[in-house]
Amino acid sequence: MTSPLLETRDLTLAYGAFHAVDGVGLCIQPGTIHSVIGPNGAGKTSLFHCLTGERRISGGQILFDGRDITRRPAHGRVALGMARSFQITSLFQNLSVRENLRLAAQGTAGWRALDFWRRLDSHRRHAATADEMLERLALTARAELPAGTLSHGQQRILEVGMAICARPRLLLLDEPTSGMGVDDIPTMTRLIAELGRDHTVLLIEHNMSIVMSISDTITVMNRGQILVEGTPQAVREDARVRTAYLGEAA
Amino acid sequence: MLNVYLFQILNGLGLGMIYFLISVGLTLIFGLLNFVNFAHGAFFLLGSYLCYTTVTLTGNFWLSLLLAPLAVGLLAWLLERSLIRRIYHLPHTFQILVTLGIALIIQEVSIMLWGPVGKSVPTPELLRGIVRLGHFAYPQYRLFLIGFAALVAVALWLLLERTRFGALVRAGSESTETVSLLGTNIFRLFSITFALGVALAGLAGVLSAPLRGANPFLGPEILGVAFVVVVIGGMGSFGGALAAGLMVGVVQSLMASLWPQGSSLMIYAAMAVVILLRPYGLFGRA
Amino acid sequence: MNPKLTTPARGDSRPANAIFRRRPAATTLAMLAVVIALPLVVPSATLACEILIFAMAVLGCNLLLGYTGLLSFGQAIFFGSGAYVAALAMIHWQVGLFTALLLAAAAGGLLALLVGALAIRRTGIYFVMLTLALTQMAYFIAYTLSDWTGGDNGLLDVPRPPVAIGGFTLFDLESPLAFYGLVAVLFVFLYLGARRVIDSAFGSTLLAIRENEARAAAVGYDTRHFKILAFALSGAVTGLAGALYAMLLNFAPLSNIELPMSEQILIMTIIGGTGSLFGSLLGAGTIVILGDLLSALWPRWMLLLGVALIAVVMFMRGGLWGGLESLGRRRAGAARKTQEDA
Ligand SMILES: Nc1ncnc2c1ncn2[C@@H]1O[C@H](COP(=O)(O)OP(=O)(O)OP(=O)(O)O)[C@@H](O)[C@H]1O
Ligand SMILES: [Mg+2]
Repeated sequence: MTSPLLETRDLTLAYGAFHAVDGVGLCIQPGTIHSVIGPNGAGKTSLFHCLTGERRISGGQILFDGRDITRRPAHGRVALGMARSFQITSLFQNLSVRENLRLAAQGTAGWRALDFWRRLDSHRRHAATADEMLERLALTARAELPAGTLSHGQQRILEVGMAICARPRLLLLDEPTSGMGVDDIPTMTRLIAELGRDHTVLLIEHNMSIVMSISDTITVMNRGQILVEGTPQAVREDARVRTAYLGEAA
Repeated sequence: MLNVYLFQILNGLGLGMIYFLISVGLTLIFGLLNFVNFAHGAFFLLGSYLCYTTVTLTGNFWLSLLLAPLAVGLLAWLLERSLIRRIYHLPHTFQILVTLGIALIIQEVSIMLWGPVGKSVPTPELLRGIVRLGHFAYPQYRLFLIGFAALVAVALWLLLERTRFGALVRAGSESTETVSLLGTNIFRLFSITFALGVALAGLAGVLSAPLRGANPFLGPEILGVAFVVVVIGGMGSFGGALAAGLMVGVVQSLMASLWPQGSSLMIYAAMAVVILLRPYGLFGRA
Repeated sequence: MNPKLTTPARGDSRPANAIFRRRPAATTLAMLAVVIALPLVVPSATLACEILIFAMAVLGCNLLLGYTGLLSFGQAIFFGSGAYVAALAMIHWQVGLFTALLLAAAAGGLLALLVGALAIRRTGIYFVMLTLALTQMAYFIAYTLSDWTGGDNGLLDVPRPPVAIGGFTLFDLESPLAFYGLVAVLFVFLYLGARRVIDSAFGSTLLAIRENEARAAAVGYDTRHFKILAFALSGAVTGLAGALYAMLLNFAPLSNIELPMSEQILIMTIIGGTGSLFGSLLGAGTIVILGDLLSALWPRWMLLLGVALIAVVMFMRGGLWGGLESLGRRRAGAARKTQEDA
């Protein structure tokens, strides 16, 4: 077996006395699409916040490619090759779609982004990445519009596109289809499946048909803990998963 | 020698209580309305001036202690209804700019009404004497100041902790929606809280008038001190404002006997050190 | 908190860069025209100097407020210390013009680095409060060091050295018009420099931070570094402006480093138009000229500034530049319409 790209040990995130993430041990194999599912409030987004450094964890350890990144700030983890999209769309609303993507690409430039004298033309690479991404997301026609004027579905696609622009080794997508209309969902599904070819993907998703069709491994979370982990087939047949979801619904 | 320090510590407590009254108003408004009032220092100086005018006209300090905060609160209430409430939805930057405009207007109008030179306010006759404790002598007014401000603090605490109004304010500071759901007119609660917070600044202005007089250019200094207190004590916290207010007052007072020119400087230096060591203040959480 | 009450009104803040991306050359030409015409139009060359000096300070403030979204009440620290450092260096070390200006810029930049590094440890309103408190602190330091700064009396007899190279005098700056020449050249350079900074990778990132700091951090930027560098650049420009102001007045008053100076620079920035370099010129020009006209007639004219500030926030958030722009847009729209009709 290859060594995991991302590994957590006993990861815990507490909001006061409440443990949103409670002793999670996760293991992501490189080159796979790994999904995290679970009822509302299970702690999936909180888990992402821990992995990307958005929140400071209360306990445990995070290893990326064998390196301890537990104390690394969010921007430092991007530099190592992690990038994420947000469940609640978070764009540069008043900047153009192209600029959103270009800024996301430039985010990996580290100190070079502090260059305050040379014109942007001297950093062509990021603009090229943005143009490529515009094509791939089918947003070229809207490239110059402010991101805030896109339709909801297009904003979700841009949200994911910004994460890809960093060319990360591990891509973390938090419910990319959330709030999308049925018309847009196939585009997103295709996009994610394609991503699986070049990146390792950690995916939070409520849409079961997407999860079951593209995942290599599925982790089911409930109340901050891992309930079940396995192949789509195994998870589908697990009784505990059904009770977790039904219990929530009842 | 020890008496000097005791004297300065008592002075510091008095000063600290004034700082507390200013900051708790600021904090109360911020907690519920999520609104930053940069005109707070201006309302303080308005309190001082109204005290001056009342004392000059009637010779009665006690009347001014009642009237000036009421008048300042009323002005705040009117301002809230006409202007402030229109900017709650704007980013903080814009709120700050509007209240900065209000502060400028109050300052300039004060100069128009009372002139550019500060006015001194006599100590009320009843409290002109000194209190003796063995060898130790202390001005009556300063003792009164500590006691009276402490009473106000207790009353305010009871208001916030033991009344329906207080419960609404506290609930509203957590989530305004909850309060709206309770069927309370949230805008009325906002107006009253804004007026109350500003009236506290006015009251602080009255209490400090016999000590420092009324000066049109006091606003920025007061605002600066209030910010030091809330940066150290945390916004939205009654206890933090009290502890930090007293601390700042005592530090400033003690420094005044050691290094007179540097006493004001010291409180800012103290704030800088606190921010370096504990960015979220002495009592704050990350 | 109720999201309705706290979310910024998105639609209100226009993409500040869009304007200039469209026609930067036109605004640069307009700026040059104003700089050339200014001493002919305003009553005195001294007044023209004052306008450009404050316009420089506003450029610095705009970099923070307009492009990074940082509302700093600390600008007086950099302005005042620039004035003091240049004046002291000229008085005690007899340094020349350019050395004095460089020292002032360095002092302003360095102090801004410190102030920025300290203040950005907190965000939002705490950040703003910290900048204000630090200005108070700087004021008290200047007040306490009265042996150096002259305290309340200010620092008198600040020289205005000639433009000299290697001890050889090229220009004398004693006449106001000659001094205006120097100020104008410096202003044009700073303006073009600011343009470059804004068009750089760094500048584009500042806009991202202003728009959505959390996302900027999430895509990999260490936003602290950007904010501190923005502070340092802003402080350097503002310090330079302070030094020129001291040379203009032959005097460095304590009021340079007082909170009202920060407020004045901020008000000029907002009235001119945040996020617009040309607006810096508009804002400084309007307020300086207004002050000159009104202060003699009515000493309480600052009252109007308070009213104007409120009015701008309530009705014209783009400031004068924004107003001009929407006027232009409406004109263009009308013209297009008549063309289509025809
Ligand atoms: N900032 C916070 N403070 C306190 N509690 C929080 C905070 N953020 C999240 N929580 C709580 O933590 C729990 C986990 O939330 P999280 O957003 O991780 O769930 P999730 O699995 O992503 O749910 P969903 O499917 O709805 O997105 C929830 O009960 C939530 O209320
Ligand atoms: Mg979630």
